[in-house]
Amino acid sequence: MNIIAISINHNTAPVEVREAVYLNNEEIKNLTHSIKNSFFSEGLIVTTCNRTEIYGIPANQNLSHQEIQNALLNFKSVTGLKPEHFQYFSSANAIKHLFSVATGIDSLLIGDNQIFKQVKDSFQTAEDLNFTGFLMKRIFDSAVKAGRRAISETGISEGAVTVSYAAVQLIEKIFSNLSKKSALVIGAGETGEIAAKHLRERGIGNLTITNRTYERAEKLAENLSAKILPFGNFKDSLHEFDIVLSATSSDSLILTKADVHAAMKKRNYNSLVLMDIAIPRDIDPEAKSIDYVFYNDIDSLNIIVQQNLTKRKEEIPKVEKIIEEELNSFLSWFNSLEVAPTIKNLRDYFEAIRLEEVEKNKNRFSSEDQEKLEIITKRIINKILHHPTVELKKYTESGANSDEAAQKVSIVRELFGMIKDDEKEDEREK
Amino acid sequence: MKAIIDSLNLLLPVFYLITFGFYFYDFMKTGKRFANSKRLFLFLTLLIHFCYLLFRTIYFDHPPITNVFEIFTVLAFAVGFSYYILELVTDIRGTGPFIIIISIFFQLISTSFIPDVFQVKEVLRNHLLGVHVFSALTGYSAFAISCVYGFLYLILYKQIKLNKFGLIFDRLPSLDVLERLSFISAIIGFFLLSIAIFIGIIWLPKAFPKFSYVDPKLIGTFLVWLLYGFGILSKVVGKWQGKKVVVFSILGFVIAILSTIMSNFLAQSFHSFY
Repeated sequence: MNIIAISINHNTAPVEVREAVYLNNEEIKNLTHSIKNSFFSEGLIVTTCNRTEIYGIPANQNLSHQEIQNALLNFKSVTGLKPEHFQYFSSANAIKHLFSVATGIDSLLIGDNQIFKQVKDSFQTAEDLNFTGFLMKRIFDSAVKAGRRAISETGISEGAVTVSYAAVQLIEKIFSNLSKKSALVIGAGETGEIAAKHLRERGIGNLTITNRTYERAEKLAENLSAKILPFGNFKDSLHEFDIVLSATSSDSLILTKADVHAAMKKRNYNSLVLMDIAIPRDIDPEAKSIDYVFYNDIDSLNIIVQQNLTKRKEEIPKVEKIIEEELNSFLSWFNSLEVAPTIKNLRDYFEAIRLEEVEKNKNRFSSEDQEKLEIITKRIINKILHHPTVELKKYTESGANSDEAAQKVSIVRELFGMIKDDEKEDEREK
Repeated sequence: MKAIIDSLNLLLPVFYLITFGFYFYDFMKTGKRFANSKRLFLFLTLLIHFCYLLFRTIYFDHPPITNVFEIFTVLAFAVGFSYYILELVTDIRGTGPFIIIISIFFQLISTSFIPDVFQVKEVLRNHLLGVHVFSALTGYSAFAISCVYGFLYLILYKQIKLNKFGLIFDRLPSLDVLERLSFISAIIGFFLLSIAIFIGIIWLPKAFPKFSYVDPKLIGTFLVWLLYGFGILSKVVGKWQGKKVVVFSILGFVIAILSTIMSNFLAQSFHSFY
């Protein structure tokens, strides 16, 4: 089938190149306008922090990957970009690649759920810009189905694969219901912010932020509907929290074992989770020796992350099987588009010859024999066409390689002088 | 009916083993594949077991509580039944293998050695005694389950403290949930033991001429009841939580077992039948 794609992704290009090629919404809109019709009859642009990809059905049969690549580079000038930063895909391989992207097995973080949503958003954008058509819609439906199946039928997206999410996963192994718990996030930097967001998403009952720079804490607290605690005296309130997550850039310890011990006494030794995701560490690791204190640092959380990544990698063959099934299903549908009319045309062609010859020669037969002539000639035609019909139908039933199917269909058409409807129109115009 | 009883006796360990297989598979793998079918299979196993106990009661004309091996099959049923109720109440389905294995243990011994007893002391034919013993055994089964969850809590607690994130960490529910399961089991056990004691206080003096309030079994059971009552109250009023609750549950069960052994086998009691 005639679909081509180019891709720059984390497997082919360094982060600075990927960042430079990244397209924002406005750029997607402009690029779509420039390649629509001139290059593609329909298409799709997927762009995230880890990949920029263009898929399309060429408007012109001779369109090459190089031309699309040049179009992208003309649109977005990037220094340091080399040919090896691009991956090229054609036909079924292009669709297979899109399915791999949608299911998350081609992601930097294997099984990343975000990419599934990003592919859906990309398609929505393409649809809004009238860049999608009958074929791209069908490809998109199959990609979404593959993505959904991968999530529900395999463990490709299970388990935390980032340190901050692993911290939340670990917290949930201690407390079953976060809505009744209070959490303090120390540090409003990027790591603290992500961890605080995860806690909020998991329904933490009470979220408080403290940071050396009050304004920064204020900004994050506003975004997450959290309370703020002045950094100078947060230790006085330490006992009020069930979870303390620290992610500052401090060079020295912020919480000592004595601080934790004092807090534990005040909270009557109710369980306290300390998550130290700062480097260097903020909380004295000795605090873990106190009963009911669950202390974890980056190293221990990384154990969870690595274990989950290994489990996800083990799920890749299952996802690949789903991709294969969805690809076959799509290709059998696509092949049926070509094969069914060809079979009909082939039968019409032979029937026309039969009718013509019967008409020419029927007077040579008696009226009784004319009936037999009809039956015999029809039987001959059926026998001649039986094998080619079965062979062509195989392509629609098995979802076999669409290029091979298209090639066979084209040979049959050429051999018997059958012309497609659109080609007929072209000829008439001439 | 005898043929049915004998067949069920042989089939029960097989049913418990298959149920265990379902629960164990889900524990080792994803925990989702047999989420509903394992519960259904446990229900069927318990239903068959209930029929078996009923048929024995009808056919031998006494509740199956007249010898140790009859008691064992009742215990196997009671443990499975208590777990089933707990699973229904909490909808936590991942801890089944740790409990069902207890039922398998008791049922295997019972199946191997259970005798056909027609002649028993008249008092053992009394149905009120049957209710008394059944509620006491189910109560102790609930204490056993509470103890198992207590152990699981301690194992998970230790693993998290030592940053060991293996199969136990992956498959067990949170510490909060394990503590709750242990506590709910203890409450169920306490409630059933209360029924057993209540029936005992009303009925025993009438049934046994040698009845005595200072009987070692009575005192032992009452002490166990007091101990659990104290523990439950301490948790309810908020003084106890976490490790303290589960350690209490484990100790409570150990004391309950020791008390039963001592009063049954070491002390003379009007209350001993085997």
